[in-house]
Amino acid sequence: MTNGKRKELLIRALRLYTLLVTLITILMIILGYLLDRDRVFSYEAFFSPLFYAMIGTAATMITRSDKELSVRSLIIRKIISLLLIEGAIILIALSSDTIPTEKSWVLPALALGVFTVFILTHMIQYHIDRKEAEKISADLIRYQEKQINGSSTFYSR
Amino acid sequence: MKLEIRKIPESEPEIVEVRYHWITDEIQEIISFVKSRQGQLSAMRDGKRFEVPVVDLFYAESVDERLFLYTASDSYEIRMKLYELEDLLKNKSFLRVSKSMIVNLMKITSVRPALNGRFSAILKNGEEVIISRKYVPELKKILKGGEPG
Repeated sequence: MTNGKRKELLIRALRLYTLLVTLITILMIILGYLLDRDRVFSYEAFFSPLFYAMIGTAATMITRSDKELSVRSLIIRKIISLLLIEGAIILIALSSDTIPTEKSWVLPALALGVFTVFILTHMIQYHIDRKEAEKISADLIRYQEKQINGSSTFYSR
Repeated sequence: MKLEIRKIPESEPEIVEVRYHWITDEIQEIISFVKSRQGQLSAMRDGKRFEVPVVDLFYAESVDERLFLYTASDSYEIRMKLYELEDLLKNKSFLRVSKSMIVNLMKITSVRPALNGRFSAILKNGEEVIISRKYVPELKKILKGGEPG
């Protein structure tokens, strides 16, 4: 892997991690407020979004590929990635003392929450990519005008 | 093959003359190279040889070890490797956008996001080609006025 590619990958991983921390925090606030409002946590609870986001980022990075995948392969990888995250979060919830998995709504709510964060992450990433594409398109038009208007003898023929 | 290089006065036009007995692969390669320097590529379509102006080229794609050139409506096969063509055209607004394709930046209308962080380039003839994430930094660099790497 080249340095440029490693840097690009690191940027994407960090961007995904930050996004996940934000979305997981929002999800915990919403789920907690709606379903378990009276529960009190210690300061350690602030580590949870950081930890869960790490799992989400790792699962996404493990299932990524440098190959140019077909749409079908891509969807399969995304599903595997989602299942890995769901599995990891549910396992952590079941082994944790702080998450009340004995209540019937907790595991379905967690699974639905993970799915929602997964979808939101992809939607936000698509939006970021769209902005980047718009910038590239604008630069491309400027580049083409520059080439035609004289700086290139090749295209001025 | 004997190589003759001769310095001539500036009043005389520069000429590359190829003297041959038969058009062999080697001779054809030399002819193709000289033509490409003049802005043309020698390529085949339906068993006939055509001179394809580089400015008319939309993209070139390598498929099963064969290299194809695409203009607005036609496709041609050229006896060259993709990396050789890339090297030949790198100062002529062509850029590698995936492991099997180079595209003419002058023929792209716009860019839009595709799946998995990739981009899709919409060409002036309506075709769409994928730009791999790996090649996006190089694209941005060139669009900002940088030299192709």
